[in-house]
Formats: sequence, C-alpha cells, structure tokens
Amino acid sequence: MSLANTVYNAIVKRNSVFVPTIFVGAFAFSIGFDVGITKFWDTWNKGKQWKDIRDKYVEQA
Amino acid sequence: MAAVQLAKKAVTVPPTVRTLASGVPVAPLIDLKVRAPAGHGHEHGHGHAPRSDLPARWATKVSRSSSLGLYNKSYTAAPVTGVFQKSLMHTSAVARDAPQVPDFSKYQAKDESRNRGLAYFMIGSLGLLSASVAKSTVTEFLATMSASADVLAMARVEVDLAAIPEGKNVIIKWRGKPVFIRHRTQDEIEEARNTDWKSLRDPESDEQRTKKPEWLVMLGVCTHLGCVPIGEAGDYGGWFCPCHGSHYDISGRIRKGPAPLNLEVPQYDINEADGKLVIG
Repeated sequence: MSLANTVYNAIVKRNSVFVPTIFVGAFAFSIGFDVGITKFWDTWNKGKQWKDIRDKYVEQA
Repeated sequence: MAAVQLAKKAVTVPPTVRTLASGVPVAPLIDLKVRAPAGHGHEHGHGHAPRSDLPARWATKVSRSSSLGLYNKSYTAAPVTGVFQKSLMHTSAVARDAPQVPDFSKYQAKDESRNRGLAYFMIGSLGLLSASVAKSTVTEFLATMSASADVLAMARVEVDLAAIPEGKNVIIKWRGKPVFIRHRTQDEIEEARNTDWKSLRDPESDEQRTKKPEWLVMLGVCTHLGCVPIGEAGDYGGWFCPCHGSHYDISGRIRKGPAPLNLEVPQYDINEADGKLVIG
C-alpha cells in the first residue's frame, strides 16, 4: 500500500479524525511559525535590541 | 518528328460537392472508406493510431524544383472517374464541431490513490492555515482589550522603606491616586492595636489592615467624597479630611465625621531582604 493510501486511511477517512488533526496541526503550526519568525527577527536585528546591549548598561547581579 | 512532350502539372482536385434539388448534398468523388482521424480522445492510454486517411509514407515524397520550390507529390489511389455509383444516402464522414481537440491523456491521473491523497492534503492544509489565521485573529483582537505595557509598568510602584524614618509619613502617587505610607512608632502601634475596634463605625482590627505593624499603607482618598486627608492631624492623631471634617485614627479607621468607611488598604508586598515596598 502506498504512502498516499496509508495517510488517507489513517487520517482522512473519518471526519472525526480529520478535523481534530487539522486543529492540532494548526496549533503546532502557529507555535512553530511564531518561534521561527521570532528567531528570524532576532537574527535580522542582531545587536540592535535591548536584550543584546543590556550588558553594556546594566551591571548588577 | 513527334517529340513526346512531358509536361508536369500539379493539380489539386477537390471533391465536388453539390446539392440536389431535393436538398441532399452530393459528393460523388469522396472516398467513403476514409474514417475520421483517430486520436480524438477516445484511445487513452494506448497512444495514437496511424491515420488511415493519409497516404503511406512511401507514397509521398518531397522534391525541389527551380520553378516550384519545395513541392510534394503523392501517388494515391485516385478515384476512378467514369463508373461510379451515386450514393443517395448521406453517409459521408461526420463533420465534427471541433475537429482539433487536443489529446488530454497526458494530464490524466496516473494513480487514483495518489491523486486522492494530494487532494485531501491540499484541503487539510488550507483548513490548517485558516484555523490558525482565525485563532490568531481572535487572540490578537482580545489582546487589544488588555492593558498595554506602559499601563502595566505604571501600575506598580516600588518604595525604598529605609528612606522613611520612624514616625514619618510619605505620600506617593500610585495609579493616579495618593498613597500614604506611615512608619509608625511603637506607641502608635500599641494605640492602634488597643482600640476597641468592634464598636467602630467600620469595624476592622489593626492586624487586618497591616502586614507588618510598623508599616501602615493605605490609599489617601477620603471615603466620603474623595478629598485627600491631611496627615498627623485630627482628634485621633491620624488623618483629618479638610473638606468635610472626617477624622481617621493612626490605623486609618474612620472615627468621627461623615465618612462611612476606613481608608482603603491597597494590595502591597513588603520585600524584607531589599527593604522595598511594592504596591500593586
């Protein structure tokens, strides 16, 4: 049985599985998207954000 | 001397079509053995059949001549002129509406289940994206209703307790309102605790109103009409409201005057290690 058939039978065949899979996937996707975009933002603005230059101005335990 | 003159002449003989008086079309020179060209979408999966109406490859040849340029000569079985039967029935090949229909077999799905899997994958992906867009739309909209960062930053106030000597009042601003902080002396604590608080207008013990007995923290807003009381004044050694003459004692409880309630105690925490008071 091909991969397409395996996936179809496991997920798509019952709507009661398909819809929750979509919701769980959406949850995971939004977290992953958020993390990815934040990481990209931090690399893009490296050295410009307060958390990068904080050590220069705040010295305390 | 008779010389044989070989003359070559290219002639195209179209089938003659005419209409009888009865309206029946007559095409006497048409080769009725010709079939409709194959390859019009009816042979998916088994390629093209050779066209039966084209002359065989060996019968055709392309030549060049100085006068004609490139020309093509075909030897075909020309219809016999002379004896032919008139076919009165209309049996010529059907003229198609769109004789040039392309071959779509290349675009047909090779594998049913892969095709189905891909279709449902696309459906699921679109659902996934829409769900996450809907979720973030709702959460972002709700987030606009919550307090912004500057408001949250203003909502907390830190006070260094070491800077307040015993027996002194400090008034600070917190959320737009004055807050009284009094470093009470031992006498004042005893006075506040020994009062018969059950008989007061708003009965509250001093233990309920303070977290540490020497620090009294309360909102400096008179519970009557919202004036700011004056410290170290009044008949009870506490606060006195100049607007309508309410007297508060050294624990901030209403003792005399029109105010109905004791001075309100805000949420606060005393950080003993740093000697800091955090209000809010």
